[in-house]
Amino acid sequence: MIDTSVEIAGVTLPNPVLPASGTYEVDEVHAGFFSPSELGAVINKTIFMNPRPGNPPPRIWETPCGMLNAIGIPSEGLERFLADQLPRLRSLGPPVILSIAGNSLQEWQDLAAAVDRTGSVDMVELDLSCPNLEEGFIWAADEAALSRVVASVVKVTRLPVISKLSPNVRDISEMAVVAERAGTAAVSMVNSYQGMAIDIGTRKPILGNITGGLTGPAIRPLAIHGVFTTFKKITVPIIGMGGIATWQDAVEFLLAGATAVAVGTQNFVNPLTMKEVIEGIAGYVEEAGFSSVRDIIGLAQE
Amino acid sequence: MGRHPVYRSATVLEAKEEGRDYLDLLLREPEISQTTRPGQFLMIRAWPGVDPMLPRPFDIMQADPREQTLRLFVKVEGRGTALLKSLKPGTEVKITGPLGRPIEDFSCPSMAFLVRGAGAAAVVHLAEEARARGIGVYTILSASAASRIVCRKYLEPVSTELLIATDDGSEGYEGLASDLLDDLLRRKTVDRVYTCGSRRFARHVQRLDREGRIKGFVFLEGLMACGMGDCHGCAVQKNGQGGYFLVCRDGPHFPIAEVVL
Repeated sequence: MIDTSVEIAGVTLPNPVLPASGTYEVDEVHAGFFSPSELGAVINKTIFMNPRPGNPPPRIWETPCGMLNAIGIPSEGLERFLADQLPRLRSLGPPVILSIAGNSLQEWQDLAAAVDRTGSVDMVELDLSCPNLEEGFIWAADEAALSRVVASVVKVTRLPVISKLSPNVRDISEMAVVAERAGTAAVSMVNSYQGMAIDIGTRKPILGNITGGLTGPAIRPLAIHGVFTTFKKITVPIIGMGGIATWQDAVEFLLAGATAVAVGTQNFVNPLTMKEVIEGIAGYVEEAGFSSVRDIIGLAQE
Repeated sequence: MGRHPVYRSATVLEAKEEGRDYLDLLLREPEISQTTRPGQFLMIRAWPGVDPMLPRPFDIMQADPREQTLRLFVKVEGRGTALLKSLKPGTEVKITGPLGRPIEDFSCPSMAFLVRGAGAAAVVHLAEEARARGIGVYTILSASAASRIVCRKYLEPVSTELLIATDDGSEGYEGLASDLLDDLLRRKTVDRVYTCGSRRFARHVQRLDREGRIKGFVFLEGLMACGMGDCHGCAVQKNGQGGYFLVCRDGPHFPIAEVVL
């Protein structure tokens, strides 16, 4: 048996596969697919301080080898999330990553402090990069804003902080360096690429939010490039994501330098994907004659 | 066997073209055919690779637990449905289901269905169940022309009365099927109306509901990637209270007073 565990900021993940935030609920509807206790980590759909309804429909649109979404992160707000959802996430077994997003520096700090106080969370992920919010601001696309949020959150929590980075920048690896300097313990990359679609009949944008985020296999080569170029520049671990549809895709991210991988859009297509990816990575590592998944991280760099 | 949705391979038994752009698809799958209830749907994907990316949602029109079959009715209108149309018997497809809320309340003496076009498929399973429980089934089928009337052969045997309205008068009543509903409500004691396939009819049923004449329900569609509450794509606006329902998780059928049409 090979060792499938990996470590992110002192937290041991039993395997390197987790859902991308907001793409897989661990609720009753999903009980017939596979046990979430088999995941490397569990994560919530990004939580805001206050309840939000999300964007008006249409919210999604299929594109070649992918999809656009402009969901707008509907959320029940922090208080209800902590009461209703967190205990269930905690009870599943794997490490719990809590994805949060603030609308101001103060809110980022208040959210992180509140999450820390629960004592039920292993890591906190800062969703600095959703491109679909009506506020229209991508924190992770602005060096100063990114730096300020990460630094101020790190001050108010002992939990390891993961910064989820946006690919909608000139050079994502430089943004990873900014996040590391500000004290992030890991980076997640990449969030979705800004995109849009236009209905040639009505001559209007299709999405209710006008613009959306592109995900799915269409973006995978871009995401791999992001991980590969970032790996050389930072010392903190990378959680790689962007269009993973198969275990082979996930292996590609590990070889590029990701310590763990997240599956997003493909969960919509095949709800067993993450289980298949976990098994496929282990099989690949064993077949290649390594004893641990850790042995293949960044191999493509050499 | 639980009622949780599962992800399974299914075998195509029949893919019959109906008229110009409809498809009657019969699948064999032993598990979902046992567990699905009226009002539920499934996601189907019948092609390899990642393009098109997403599975497609369809109402489960009929389920036969003994034969282990599921019947879907498909309106061919895009790339995914065109691929479904080219399916040959024996092909393996992937399905996830049963999805959505089952309809479990049959405490009424009769139900009426006001459906247009392929919207008829949404109520077939429900009509069958109602009939089996001894509930009166009044079906009103609407289409632009006689050649566009679908699912009649499934609804006729389970309907106490079946009425037809066409826009061009090529069959049945020439005009709005909602007129037939109004007339039915004058003649019969009907306390529940389900509608699907026409926003205009849905608004009519919503008005009747608001006036307290019937309890109305509507089957809705939405662009959805997953069908199980993950993608939050299929939002439909809540009436009055703000915020959104998800068609997949909270529907696909809704008390008609609760949604903005």
